[in-house]
Amino acid sequence: MEYQQSPKFFVRGPSAFARLIMFATLSLLLIASDARFSYLSEVRQSAVSLLSPFQWLANYPVVLYNDLSDFFTSQANLRAEVKRLSSQALVHGAALQQLKTLQAENEHLRSLFDASKTTIRPTKMAEIMHLGSDPFTHKVIVNIGADKDVQAGQAVVDAAGVLGQVTRVYPHTSEVTLLTDHDLSIPVQVERSGLRAIAFGSGRDYGVNLPYLPANVDIKVGDRLVTSGIDGVYPKGLGVAKVTSVKVSAGSPFATIVALPIAGAQNFRQVLLLDLDHKTAVNEEVSKVREEEQLSKISKGNNNNKSVKKNAGH
Amino acid sequence: MQVIKRRMIYASLLMALVLQLFPWSGWGLYLRPDFVLLALLFWMLRAPQHCNIGLAWFAGLAIDLASGSLFGQNALAYAITAFFAVVYQRRLILFTDLQQTSYVFLLLLINQFTLFLLKLFAGAESPGYYYFLSCIISILLWHFVIVKLFSPRGRH
Repeated sequence: MEYQQSPKFFVRGPSAFARLIMFATLSLLLIASDARFSYLSEVRQSAVSLLSPFQWLANYPVVLYNDLSDFFTSQANLRAEVKRLSSQALVHGAALQQLKTLQAENEHLRSLFDASKTTIRPTKMAEIMHLGSDPFTHKVIVNIGADKDVQAGQAVVDAAGVLGQVTRVYPHTSEVTLLTDHDLSIPVQVERSGLRAIAFGSGRDYGVNLPYLPANVDIKVGDRLVTSGIDGVYPKGLGVAKVTSVKVSAGSPFATIVALPIAGAQNFRQVLLLDLDHKTAVNEEVSKVREEEQLSKISKGNNNNKSVKKNAGH
Repeated sequence: MQVIKRRMIYASLLMALVLQLFPWSGWGLYLRPDFVLLALLFWMLRAPQHCNIGLAWFAGLAIDLASGSLFGQNALAYAITAFFAVVYQRRLILFTDLQQTSYVFLLLLINQFTLFLLKLFAGAESPGYYYFLSCIISILLWHFVIVKLFSPRGRH
């Protein structure tokens, strides 16, 4: 019998059931504290950096494959790509010249209207390392983190449009939640009609839903949805999704609208992280309210202290 | 009598973890066998004095960290599965290979279902029935690779 090495009779310690109860309680506590409070984010960060060598090892074959296929790419492919890129650069260059004059004109008009100036946000380049390893969520891991001043909440875009938002920052990597994730929503605007809505990730089949829109809403299949910019996270006018189906049923006052994201974690490896814009109207409003709250707390605290002192004096 | 070293258990668990962390994506994610759980079950049947519910719990915690899910979800699922494995361990080692495989399949289903419930409670959207395909791949791996390769025991 290879199974019993110890001559002792009772080698098993506490019974299996006692252990189960103990560990189950422990994990329920952990789940509750992780879901409700943010005490564990530092623990998670340090533990993730412990795990990172294993993650690196696991990624290594893929990195090697990518490097090798980059190395052995044929000359014909390279030439075709150079040709495509230079023609693209020509088109973009012409468009850019127009953009500059338009931008100047727009700034001028905005100053006439006394509207707040739009700023161009600095960006950081990042590379997608791998997709998230949980079939329940739609996340990707990118290769820059706290070491490059990445902050949770930054918008992530690729060449085609919005990809998602940074949700967790680790020392050298960060986690980006994709638009299609169940927990992410993004304010959008229909490009054709200017109608505003909120797109929610469906969490299932790589699409986003536009719920709570009336059955007679002016949205057609093929409409492009762009960011509306009213949230202060995503700048205005980035491509988000293309409407793929609009269904109206007699039984529901709402239309069922499904759209497919334009950007895709499968398409591009390079992404841009847009820096948080702290100067938007919404953020200013929020910080004002917070300051007021803090002030009122401090003054309350002072009052309490005074009353305590008074009581003590009596 | 073959002595099972603690070091070997940990090494195999780490190897399973690396395999699990391999950047699976798309369909690969649904078809990915649960390497860590298979390694845990393998050792739980052969060395219950070294590999118990506690180790399963810690392995689950490592997976929670790696996958970025809520702390303790995988850990709880693994602990429950490990409980059912450990409780019947003495009977299981007397089973034939096929009987053992079917019991392990049941354990994998328990694990997958517990995790499914926990994730739904936490507010995730169900990924569909494909999610349970992973159990089938896992059990095929168990029956045709793990038991055949790593189990040099003579039958009792």
